[in-house]
Amino acid sequence: MAHKNSQKRVKPEDRKKKVIGVVARGCTTRSLIIHLQERQYERDDVCIIGVPCDGYVDGKGLKVKIGGADIVEGTVDGGQLKMKTSDGDKTVALKDVLAECCLTCRFNNPIISDVMIGSPAPAMNPDAEYNDVKEFEAKSIEERWAYFIKEMEKCIRCNACRQACPSCYCPTCFVEQSQPQWVGIGEDKTDTQVFQFMRLYHMVGRCVDCGSCVSVCPMGVDLRKFLKKIDKDCFEMFSNRAGSSMEDMPPLGKYDEHHDKQDFIYNP
Amino acid sequence: MARRKFATLKSFLNYIGVEGDRTIFTWVSASEGDRWAQVIKGATEKIKALGPAKKMVKTIG
Repeated sequence: MAHKNSQKRVKPEDRKKKVIGVVARGCTTRSLIIHLQERQYERDDVCIIGVPCDGYVDGKGLKVKIGGADIVEGTVDGGQLKMKTSDGDKTVALKDVLAECCLTCRFNNPIISDVMIGSPAPAMNPDAEYNDVKEFEAKSIEERWAYFIKEMEKCIRCNACRQACPSCYCPTCFVEQSQPQWVGIGEDKTDTQVFQFMRLYHMVGRCVDCGSCVSVCPMGVDLRKFLKKIDKDCFEMFSNRAGSSMEDMPPLGKYDEHHDKQDFIYNP
Repeated sequence: MARRKFATLKSFLNYIGVEGDRTIFTWVSASEGDRWAQVIKGATEKIKALGPAKKMVKTIG
């Protein structure tokens, strides 16, 4: 009997360390909703401790703001960020150094939670969330393409964006698949563009604008400009905001015969 | 749902500056031989008018 038990096979999916509790701000709960809708785990498997969010500081932007000095210690006091740095004491206004995605955040309070901590955070400025996208859409097609290749040339294919993204959890990413090989490995410009394009496109109805990819990118690729367009399309075409409610299922998993646009369908 | 995927794909391709018109999406049944021929003719004409694709095309060597 003892021998039999020692031979018991553990399924690969059971070998994984499971998340049992998570401290979640608004965008984290959106990611959790996406995971739950995509049946990655059950709602009972995870305990969500919700925290209201006033926005995250963009580390790179802050570093530029204080002239590249190393931060030793920092405190938030009212709307001010006070720091002890290698270059003496510095104070900056918090709203000047918040991450871009936090400034126009619509969901800074947790959507689902088991326990809530603190009182609801005041709203940010969600009306301005698509301003960047609208500005970019107004440019000519060649200008847009020029910007896209300029940004993608910076990419070194380190896959940091993919690793950091809460929606990128495929056990085998298309980048690593070799049969078929969807995208070449290495530094070819086109491969980089295709990789980025495919990764971005996989975010339809799944990008929660948490800013993880942007904050981990070592080359400062402007990923948000493209991700926000996907978000905008999703909202305008299917009135869906990724992970905004448990009931609103992923937009690409359904369709609405009467309200979906038809103009992209080719009719000779 | 294919239709939603194509709608967003086309829009996103346009956004990054690749001609979205290269993406052609329609429904044809196996029994609609005539329509199938028309779709392919129309698609070929559209692509010919656009000329060869230069964006996101990998050149080897």
